[in-house]
Amino acid sequence: MSHIAFRDEAVELEADYVVVGSGAGGATAACELARGGARVALVEAGPWLDPEHYPHSTYGSMRDLFDDWGSQVARGQALWPLVQGSCIGGSTVINCAICVRTPDDIFEKWQREQGLPDLRGPILAHQDALERELCATEVPAESLGRSSALALQGANQLGYASRVMTRYVKGCLGSGQCLQGCRAQRKQSLNINFVPEVLSRGGTVLSCAPVRRILFSNSRAIGVTGRFRQPRTRRRGGAFTVRAKHAVFVAGSVTWSPVLLAQSGVRMPALGHYFRAHPGFGLFGVYDDPVDPNRGATQGWASVAFRESPGFKMETLAIPPEMMASRLSGGGTALLAKLRDYRHLAMWVIAVRAESVGTVRPGLLGKPVVRYSADRADMERVRKGLAQVARTHFAAGARRVLPVIYGLPYSIGPDEIRVIEDGPVDPRAYISILSHLFGGCVMGRDPATSVVDDRGRVHGYQGLVVADASVIPSNLGVNPQHTIMALARHFAQAALDAR
Amino acid sequence: MLNWLFFHVLSALYPHTEDFPGIAETGLAEFLPRFRRESAPLFRLGFYAAALVFVLSPILTVYLPVPSFLLSRRLLDKHADRITQFPLYPLRSLLLLLKVVAGLCWGAHPAVRARFGLPPLPADPTDWRTQ
Ligand SMILES: Cc1cc2nc3c(=O)[nH]c(=O)nc-3n(C[C@H](O)[C@H](O)[C@H](O)COP(=O)(O)OP(=O)(O)OC[C@H]3O[C@@H](n4cnc5c(N)ncnc54)[C@H](O)[C@@H]3O)c2cc1C
Ligand code: SF4
Repeated sequence: MSHIAFRDEAVELEADYVVVGSGAGGATAACELARGGARVALVEAGPWLDPEHYPHSTYGSMRDLFDDWGSQVARGQALWPLVQGSCIGGSTVINCAICVRTPDDIFEKWQREQGLPDLRGPILAHQDALERELCATEVPAESLGRSSALALQGANQLGYASRVMTRYVKGCLGSGQCLQGCRAQRKQSLNINFVPEVLSRGGTVLSCAPVRRILFSNSRAIGVTGRFRQPRTRRRGGAFTVRAKHAVFVAGSVTWSPVLLAQSGVRMPALGHYFRAHPGFGLFGVYDDPVDPNRGATQGWASVAFRESPGFKMETLAIPPEMMASRLSGGGTALLAKLRDYRHLAMWVIAVRAESVGTVRPGLLGKPVVRYSADRADMERVRKGLAQVARTHFAAGARRVLPVIYGLPYSIGPDEIRVIEDGPVDPRAYISILSHLFGGCVMGRDPATSVVDDRGRVHGYQGLVVADASVIPSNLGVNPQHTIMALARHFAQAALDAR
Repeated sequence: MLNWLFFHVLSALYPHTEDFPGIAETGLAEFLPRFRRESAPLFRLGFYAAALVFVLSPILTVYLPVPSFLLSRRLLDKHADRITQFPLYPLRSLLLLLKVVAGLCWGAHPAVRARFGLPPLPADPTDWRTQ
């Protein structure tokens, strides 16, 4: 059992399986392979931070936990940031651990459109097990926070279904710090469970180790190679090569996996295509009594009542105070006057089930370049979603709503929701963040339109599996981590069975 | 010189008011060199470009062909509010980046957090698992 962090000397290793990336997909696949008795090497670009190492500030989390400071943007009509983690545990360290099962219609869609077998049985069985192992529970009432309680009340008032969230969290303390990593170790990010289990089962973990290339012998993947990178100074260290006896699992995320395959010489028509996202948009309700948005679980309430039509999911979200100022319009004394309301603001968001499609390609410096624009139909979903959020705020007793949409008034009253419904359809008028990403190495039967098969195996190659969100061929309309982990486990079991 | 320029720009965006300390009082002097040393190159480049845009754009907002540091306090404040809401999207996006970076410094300060009803943040740890 060993952990190898940044070093200046060269490292050469051999394992049965090499897993690239330790996020939702990679850590789950690595753990499953190790449970099956295989020798696993898990190779992660970012550092290993234990909860006591997590930063307190947003500055620190962008520096230490986010991929490239969260500075990647999707290039399209608008420039929307793509936020992902880069550390042992990947994005699970900075996410809110919301756990939602793969909806039934998704399996049917995959069968119909991708020619895949029915994956419902195995995926739901894995999700059952994952819920037990990672302690999926509802946010306890005492940790819910006022923002989520208000949302519940607003939805009840309007008569649509909503609920307190289920998350992989053991006894949430409601500190509202999920995005900086849960120092109290309540959130079950995978750096505190599956990755240590890989070690305890005799595996090796390499951190600060970005893989540059997958090594091939003809069409068989036989290992990976790269150079260590010092996380703070970004200084390059020694080279590492990890050889794989059976297979290389690639789980670097939607942005990095297609790029790693392309840079390693994999040429396929569908590689880097079918990038999708749930663009996230928020607006604020202003309440008479303090809401204190950062007290309570970071996210505690959700509704999927509008997932199928018009196509959005609603959630509460507490962003750190450092981020609040940039979400409100203006600058100077006018901006600071708006911030006087801070304690009275509740931010609720929509994750849009957008149908727009983009691409992921390697850029000049080897970094991913994502091209993506939300089309008119998606922007209409955005308007409907934000109008529904505004309605819910007013039903919950908000005095005003701040739409934060360019060109609209700074604040509106209950009789003015129309301005959001008739608001701009130009994506540039909105501030959005892309954190639920899909595609780039999509799963399907036809090598002309997909990259991997129903076991994650790259078409036309041996010993090469992709096991992260990049294989998901459609938008889920719900938070993706549960689906990603179940697919990764399914692929790992299939690989063990085929040994 | 560069530091002086950043102080000028960021203080215009987050000035001292009756309710809040200005960014210059929230540890900006320590924050700036740290940010310049540690941030991702693309992020830093965008920040520099945004600061430059702020300085050179009063002609677009208060209709005066002068750099922002020559504006009166009242006009500078007007410029800061208008340029962050300017109709041209690339300009607005750059200014948003400036607000984000400034917010990382200002919003983490104990005096600002106290005003938001939040306890001070302890110092960030500086290490990670090496064994
Ligand atoms: C702020 C935020 C909140 C979210 N909240 C939720 C939520 O509550 N519920 C939910 O279901 N989903 C949530 N998500 C989405 C969810 O976290 C992601 O969909 C999921 O983690 C993606 O899994 P992944 O394995 O594809 O990639 P990741 O989890 O991002 O992991 C990829 C890992 O691979 C590493 N890597 C990349 N390239 C290389 C390379 N070349 N060599 C070595 N390592 C490499 C990266 O550093 C990273 O650590 C959230 C996401 C974010 C950013
Ligand atoms: S709200 Fe706080 S205690 Fe609860 S999971 Fe998030 S960080 Fe942990």
